[in-house]
Amino acid sequence: MKNKDNIKILVIEDEATLLAAIEKKLANSGIEAVSCLTAAEAVKSLEGGDLPDAIWLDYYLPDVNGIEFMSLLKKNPFWSHIPVVVVSNSASSQKKSAMLALGAKEYFLKAEHKLEDIIATIIGIVEKSKGEVYNDFAN
Amino acid sequence: MDAPINEDKKLKDLSEALENCALEIAESKKREEDLNQVNRGLVEAKAKYEAMLSNIGDGVIGVNDRGEIVYANSQATLLTGYPQDELLGKMLIHSPRLTDEKGNEIPHSENPIRNAFLGNSRISSRGYFYEKADGSKFPVAITATPVVLWGQVIGGVNVFRDITREWEVDRMKTEFISLASHQLRTPLSAMKWFSEMLIDGDVGNLTDEQKEMVGNIYESNERMIALVNSLLNISRIESGRIIIEPTPTALTELLGGVMSDLKQKIESKGHEIILDVSPLLPKVNIDAKLVRHVYLNLISNSIKYTPERGRIEIKIELKGNQVVSLVSDNGYGIPERQKDKVFSKFFRAENVVKIETDGTGLGLYLTRLIVLACGGKIWFESKEGEGTRFFFTLPISGSIKREGEVSIDS
Repeated sequence: MKNKDNIKILVIEDEATLLAAIEKKLANSGIEAVSCLTAAEAVKSLEGGDLPDAIWLDYYLPDVNGIEFMSLLKKNPFWSHIPVVVVSNSASSQKKSAMLALGAKEYFLKAEHKLEDIIATIIGIVEKSKGEVYNDFAN
Repeated sequence: MDAPINEDKKLKDLSEALENCALEIAESKKREEDLNQVNRGLVEAKAKYEAMLSNIGDGVIGVNDRGEIVYANSQATLLTGYPQDELLGKMLIHSPRLTDEKGNEIPHSENPIRNAFLGNSRISSRGYFYEKADGSKFPVAITATPVVLWGQVIGGVNVFRDITREWEVDRMKTEFISLASHQLRTPLSAMKWFSEMLIDGDVGNLTDEQKEMVGNIYESNERMIALVNSLLNISRIESGRIIIEPTPTALTELLGGVMSDLKQKIESKGHEIILDVSPLLPKVNIDAKLVRHVYLNLISNSIKYTPERGRIEIKIELKGNQVVSLVSDNGYGIPERQKDKVFSKFFRAENVVKIETDGTGLGLYLTRLIVLACGGKIWFESKEGEGTRFFFTLPISGSIKREGEVSIDS
């Protein structure tokens, strides 16, 4: 299992101010962040091949919305298993259940959660998914 | 010798008969005049009513006791696009076609005029569409009323109007809410996250005084977030587009969840909690998310507005066809002269506003709207300095499902 210091998160957030806060907190938590302001940038980073352990996704992006981004991920077998955590300002039940049904691990409403708590949840998800991968190999 | 007498009598009889005749003629003339007058009155009244019916802005369709259309005013023909002779004689439940937004015909069991006949009561409904003669449709508000004479339904009246404009305004309001929630929350999130990092020492340690100041910024921002959430929830529920999704719910479990969420707050004030939930309580068909909000608000208020080591009692029992919940405390109470404002928007009682500065004044306003939307009632008893008892009811028959578009939590 990777230890916390080796975790890499792809952060997609179109508000530069918020992105700066997220980057700083992740860095202080010993997590490597790859920051993107658009889904296109994120896709480019994923295509680079060095895949993240998790994706931090804002629902509304300038180029696509969360649902479109999820289906984009699902189309690529190398990307489809990457855990996604949605961190959005808008969390209607419909949006939330649609995203969770598409495989998102968690849906946070930004203003309701501290960065610290969101990061702790993501670390938990990454550790769990790593565990599952190892179990898969073991079986 | 009797002859003169007989003659006299005959003459008298004749004159009496003539007099009677004249009287009868006069009376009959009077009756005729009276009838004419009544008739004129009727004709005038008919003309008046017809003028009224044909000149009001609403469509009016009258049906007989079998539900066949016997009257349609000009606005009804204008709105539906069907000329009067195409409407007359048709069954109102089929014509004009009543549909949903997608154009699917509404089941007969939901048809307003049918239900007005069956229930012998007035039915108002919004949210349906009338299909016009040209195939296009418009959102319609319908009031269907049975006409009852000597205890029998002899017909009905369907009054309707085109609510396209209101529909559009409603839609714009929903869009605005969604947009505003996004736009307001972005800067609030930024303030929250940056002040969190300052407090946590992510960019170096702060002095105690600095920490306290940033802490104040953080707390004020939290209040702003709560305010935005409440305002959004209120706009949603006021717009009437709230989703009500009743499912059979065990109130004991729901209350248990609320209590565990509030555990920390209760412990920090050292309150004693007494739960008294009737073991006979059946599951109730309610929207758990909405009702949860009601318990959460009332119990949070009790915790907040009761001095430390207070006593809070929560009781749920069945009374007749209602489930009655009681949240009672021995707290600050509500001043007598402010009691009528308790459920108003932005109200905060003068005796607690200085003790508990934190509060939006929107909690009870929203709670009341939710209870009403769930088909219940809410009220309270309170004495300043002694405590407050809030009651609310939920019908044991459950809440009515509503296919809305928004929920209250996001």
